[in-house]
Amino acid sequence: MSAAATALGEAARPLDAVVGMVRRNGWALALLAFLALLLIFTKVIQPRYGVAGAQALAISALPLALAAVAQAICVIGGGIDLSIGSMMALTSVIAAVQMKGQPEEFGVVVVLAVLVLGLILGAINGAVIVFTRVPDIVVTLAMSFVWAGFALLVLASPGGGSAKWLRDIILGPFLNEWIPKSAIVLIVTVGLVWIPLRRSRLGLSIYAVGSNRLAAFRSGVGVGRTKIAAYALTGLFAALAGLGLTASTGIGTPVPGPYTLTSVAAIVLGGVSLAGGRGGVLGPIVAVLILQLIRSDMTFLNVDTNLAIVAQGAILIGVVMFGSLLQLRRARR
Amino acid sequence: MKHTGIARRLATMAAVMALAAAACTSPGSSAGPAATSGGGGTTSPTQAAKQYVIGFSNTGGTGNGFREEQNCTAKAEALASGQVSKVVMIAHNTDSAGQLSDLRDLISQGVDAIVFNPSSADALNPALAEAKTAGIKTVAVDAYVTDPDTWNFYNNQVDYAYLGATWLFKYLEANGHANGTIWYTRGIAGHPADTDRHTGFTKALSEHPGFKVLPSKDGVFTGWDPTTATNLANDFINSGDWDKIDGVWTSGMDSQVVDAVKAASKTQKPIVGADLGAFASYLLDSTKYQGLVGAAVTNTAAVGGAGVAVALKLLNGDTLTSDPASTRPNTLLLKPVLADNVTDAGKQTLQSWQSVQGLNPIWPLSVTLPDWTHYTAEQAVACKGPGE
Repeated sequence: MSAAATALGEAARPLDAVVGMVRRNGWALALLAFLALLLIFTKVIQPRYGVAGAQALAISALPLALAAVAQAICVIGGGIDLSIGSMMALTSVIAAVQMKGQPEEFGVVVVLAVLVLGLILGAINGAVIVFTRVPDIVVTLAMSFVWAGFALLVLASPGGGSAKWLRDIILGPFLNEWIPKSAIVLIVTVGLVWIPLRRSRLGLSIYAVGSNRLAAFRSGVGVGRTKIAAYALTGLFAALAGLGLTASTGIGTPVPGPYTLTSVAAIVLGGVSLAGGRGGVLGPIVAVLILQLIRSDMTFLNVDTNLAIVAQGAILIGVVMFGSLLQLRRARR
Repeated sequence: MKHTGIARRLATMAAVMALAAAACTSPGSSAGPAATSGGGGTTSPTQAAKQYVIGFSNTGGTGNGFREEQNCTAKAEALASGQVSKVVMIAHNTDSAGQLSDLRDLISQGVDAIVFNPSSADALNPALAEAKTAGIKTVAVDAYVTDPDTWNFYNNQVDYAYLGATWLFKYLEANGHANGTIWYTRGIAGHPADTDRHTGFTKALSEHPGFKVLPSKDGVFTGWDPTTATNLANDFINSGDWDKIDGVWTSGMDSQVVDAVKAASKTQKPIVGADLGAFASYLLDSTKYQGLVGAAVTNTAAVGGAGVAVALKLLNGDTLTSDPASTRPNTLLLKPVLADNVTDAGKQTLQSWQSVQGLNPIWPLSVTLPDWTHYTAEQAVACKGPGE
């Protein structure tokens, strides 16, 4: 092989890597482009939309984005978790009750304890699914009532408090007024867990189990253990989302908000296959931003709130159908 | 540009017509609770030339008559004032985090004032501070917030519960049930109005210690949702507990309880509710609801319209005076009124509340607040804001 050919080959490698990356994250990148268009559209219909709007978008998206990441992990692993909203409520009220009136430093202990609790709640969900062999959707639906009941036992009505540092960590800009702290918090927390996980044996196992449970088992993957671990990670991110709620409102709310179904909508829009084994977390996060921005646009356009909900559903179906069509066309080639 | 000019002319014509309508009609025909505040101010709809954009946020209670009427009175007041070019209404079921997001959307939109029914007393404060920074006036209706710069306009909910509960306890004592049992049903857990009502109920209960409360002194939450209230009533009746009680205190989910009892062919028990159309008509219908004894307490949903009126006063630079009866700053309280179907005076009052044609039966009957609002009851029923 000539030196020229070798040089050409080396030059092609980074390009191949970029092409490969684009192919792997095609849907997420398309969503990013859609988000950019939506931002332009927002600016057109509401010329005042700027720094404050970006800050508001990032803050309101934080708990939902973390809930979407939570949902994405267990769906990639071949399951689904309908108890995410309840786990968020439970972890949020526990954090709010424990932090109220306590020194700021104690808040750190509470946050760590709540994250461990999230892991445990998720692991319990996973263990019940694995050991009882009852379908995931049934178990997590049932567990959603259990966790919601516990949340009401901890705090009968919204209340509690939040450490000031926890609120400050997500409110306001970071270095530049266009960079919301909550966006940094989202990137750091998701990156710290997801990137090592994606490259680890456990991450591969989650994808393998979600893709083909039997094949994964025959390849020596511990299916039960992997499933429990995936649900535990879902619980961890649900706890992070619960802490996000406490941080943004300064209180704990025992009645779960509309986070579970929105997280499912976000992962579907974000390109995670409900059949398992396919997708990532970038798509769902971008999808959450899109869903939030569409909601804001409906407000800016002064669309009737009830009609706005209908429009959101229609847009969701439209985008997912468009994506499926593209995939079908690609498969035919 | 041409379209803008036409639109502007149309808007001006609409405003002039609204002003004429407001000037020619007396504001409201229904009996409303008395406003105790001295904040009547001096602004009339004819004063202002500027057209404002009002943001309105309501969370929870979708399908609830009070919330629907509250939203419609806000639109009606905006229309009747002639000072509002647009009402941006966000009304859906969500939590405090969702309402924070709604308020921030309204701030991004650059509205002049935000009127809102708060989901929490404390949780919305960050967005309210951002609104202040953006020069936006904020008014909480139906309940209070702790933000020091927001004006609170609401029914005195402590008095609302105290008045109704005291009537119930005294009625039962006078009829041989001094140590009776009460079924205590509430609204939305953590909602400031519910918390205040609990304070009022508890105060009345402490003055009548012989009474017991089911399911507990903390009551049971209906979420101010008619379906949930009906289910709870059915469960309560089927459990056999209905036969053990002597009276019912509701936080406005009243006709649902009466209907469930009637459907189960059980004996009605003395009941306290709100001035909702269906409940008040049941109290007056001794044929269909034979033996039904009860009292309705006013809880006007016209706070939505009055909130818009307060916001306009603030935008026009009027001075408002906080109610000295309130321990909270920037607070305007409405004094509730009780009417029962036991006394002739009570029956007459209930009858006088039935004057609005076309009112949805689950809406509160006090549609206007003559000291504050400028729209007619018909405008509230029409539920149209400026430009609609």
